[in-house]
Amino acid sequence: MDDTPDAPELSLFLASTAHDMKNSISVLSGTLERLLVAHSAQTDPEYTQMAHMLYQTKRLNDNLMQLLALYKQVGTPAYPFDVQPLELGQLVDQVVAAERVLLKSRGLKLELDYDPELVWHFDEDLIAGVLSHAINNAIHYTCDTVRLAIHVTVDGWLELRVEDNGPGYPPALLKAGAGATRDKDGATAGGINFLTNSTGLGLYFSSEVAKMHRHRERRGTLRLENGGRYGGGCFILCLP
Amino acid sequence: MNAPANASVKAVGEIDWADKNYLIVDDFVGVRQLLRESLRSLGAKNIDQASSGGEAMGLLARIRYDVVLCDYNLGDGKNGQQVLEEARVRNLVNPSTVWLMVSAEKSVESVMGAAEHQPDAYLIKPITEGVLLSRLNRVWHKKQIFRLIDQAYAEKDYLRAARLCDAAIEAHKAHEIDLLRMKAKLMERSGEPVRAREVYERVLEQREYQWARAGIAKIRLANGEFEQARQAFQSVIAENRYYIDAYDQLALAYQNLGKLEESCAILERAAKLSPNSVPRQRNLGNVALKVGNVQMAEKAFRKCIAIGEYSIMKTPDAYLGLARVCGLKNDPKEALQLLLQVQREFAADFPDIALRSKITEGLVYHESGDYRRARKAGDELEALLTATEDRPDIPTCLELATLLFAVGVKDAPTELLCYVIRNNHDNPLLLDEVQKIFDKARLGDEGQEFIRASKKEATDLMNQGVLLWKTGKLKDAVEWMREARKKVPNNQRILFNAAQILVSHLQQHGYDASLSAEAYDVLHHVDRLLPGQQRFAQLMEQLAQLQPMADSGTIAEVV
Repeated sequence: MDDTPDAPELSLFLASTAHDMKNSISVLSGTLERLLVAHSAQTDPEYTQMAHMLYQTKRLNDNLMQLLALYKQVGTPAYPFDVQPLELGQLVDQVVAAERVLLKSRGLKLELDYDPELVWHFDEDLIAGVLSHAINNAIHYTCDTVRLAIHVTVDGWLELRVEDNGPGYPPALLKAGAGATRDKDGATAGGINFLTNSTGLGLYFSSEVAKMHRHRERRGTLRLENGGRYGGGCFILCLP
Repeated sequence: MNAPANASVKAVGEIDWADKNYLIVDDFVGVRQLLRESLRSLGAKNIDQASSGGEAMGLLARIRYDVVLCDYNLGDGKNGQQVLEEARVRNLVNPSTVWLMVSAEKSVESVMGAAEHQPDAYLIKPITEGVLLSRLNRVWHKKQIFRLIDQAYAEKDYLRAARLCDAAIEAHKAHEIDLLRMKAKLMERSGEPVRAREVYERVLEQREYQWARAGIAKIRLANGEFEQARQAFQSVIAENRYYIDAYDQLALAYQNLGKLEESCAILERAAKLSPNSVPRQRNLGNVALKVGNVQMAEKAFRKCIAIGEYSIMKTPDAYLGLARVCGLKNDPKEALQLLLQVQREFAADFPDIALRSKITEGLVYHESGDYRRARKAGDELEALLTATEDRPDIPTCLELATLLFAVGVKDAPTELLCYVIRNNHDNPLLLDEVQKIFDKARLGDEGQEFIRASKKEATDLMNQGVLLWKTGKLKDAVEWMREARKKVPNNQRILFNAAQILVSHLQQHGYDASLSAEAYDVLHHVDRLLPGQQRFAQLMEQLAQLQPMADSGTIAEVV
């Protein structure tokens, strides 16, 4: 990534613009959360609209975060990738804290199923970002329930599932998702498929994040399914 | 929502966030208001705000905060990291203070590796109330687990701190890796690299952590296995390009292998990735100067001065280095201006700055071919030396001796080099360096004789003290070592033996506050000269055990 002559100016410009946008989004989402907590769906006709604005703000932030990370070349040695040991309880607290107000404002139930004291090793910011994005997506499509389930599989992977009881993923996305799992060498074939889809950035980002996580000979994977406990969409991240 | 009642959720209720003192530092007013509102809904009443690093320093100097929320990018002036460094160096925050660094994106700084002053956590914007609370709780609990360890560390009782780590690992499996990392650091500080290495290997059995790989490489470097260390650091960098500390260490390995060009190139890459480190730019400048890359040296020293302006890490070295660069570029005028400036800015904190400027002045004149003025500087330095008993640090002594020989002075530099030998009689690398300075001055044979005599002088002083101790004349031994330290103040073997004899006296004749204080003084002095000695850790531990019970009672109350 070193360096065309005008690259430093461009990256400086991008960085300062991003900082500015992040500040505005902070204020936007913080204020919306505050307003939603203070109001209720029964008494305020604007409540549903505010809830939708919060959803859109979160989408905006997710996209911005992903663009920033991808700009820094997630998946290459250039990204400041930082694996740390963390209890699942701590990870889930983060994700729940970020999604609580939006879930409540839409009257949705978040079902949690995990062992809070289990310690795993991963880049917390990236994984929390991927899970939030998946939950945000599930919030949009589910009927009334979103489920976050985390378990260790028999062959020693950490499987993180975001399930919903909506209509499930359309066939095109399932196909793209299958591409990502087949791609055992970590080439970008799956990612390119994701990118042709309208919700592709998030999935592309998530699969890149999965692949970055390595332990001994194993690399993380991402796949999409329909089914799960409630028969809706399942977003499944596996970490070594 | 039906979140199960788990341990981490339950813990939230235990901490009272209402009565604490908060400081919010952000240059964006909207974010400050938002964070203030979030803190208010946790019940917080005492919340201060600052819009710049300078303003934050003013508040930190007056008020003790329990929680600091600090943005990394603060516009012009200090950045968040510099605010944190200065607050820690000036002791403006308590060890228990929670410092959360906030930034818009995942930052290189968060994975830098060995940066000395790390915040307790990095938070990425946007920060909502829920995220803030869960992070505050997490950091708080971790601080509780590390509290006694940090305290023992601050008291430099490294072996006690390491035992506390072992105990904590048993009780807090979730923090095992962090505790092991701390323990490895403590074993290194205690001069026990073999045990540090065992700890790193225990970590690597679980997971491939680059800091553990780098830790092992550092031990190899210290062992003199320079080539193996070089390879190991290189593979750490290949795995994680942003592990900046590995670059600095790799540069050191190259220097030890005598490959200054490569060392310089690595430091240049590191400085590109993370340009705002004062010590890194200074090292780059020094190495560039040594390999004769005047242009790069100039760039590094100028950058070092620029970023140092807002940093507590500011030192005079970059000014002196830049003055040398100006001399080499045949611009003695700017060099002299820099030397005036450095004396103005650093007079208060660096007592030997006048001396060091004068040496640099002499070198600048000598290198730019003005031998008359160089000689004049030499004469002034000679006069300075005869006026006082005090001697500067070792590198300055060597530089001064080199200059004085170069301008034709003979006795003063010889005396200076003998002083260096007496204080370092068992350091063969340094003895070689001194011999080379004699050789260059065409005084090779005489130099050899001076070195031999000075070595003997130091050895005799030490041996006589040890003999008195071994034959049970403890009181005389203490007195003898006191005199020896006056004659040879910076010899670490003499210092360690002096401390050992004081400890023996305390052990055999009972506790004595003034002897105990004297032993601590001696040990802290030797630790400043050469940190990470096994004998230091052992003697500190023995000394701590000799403290009377009343004393440890007050420590328990503070806890």
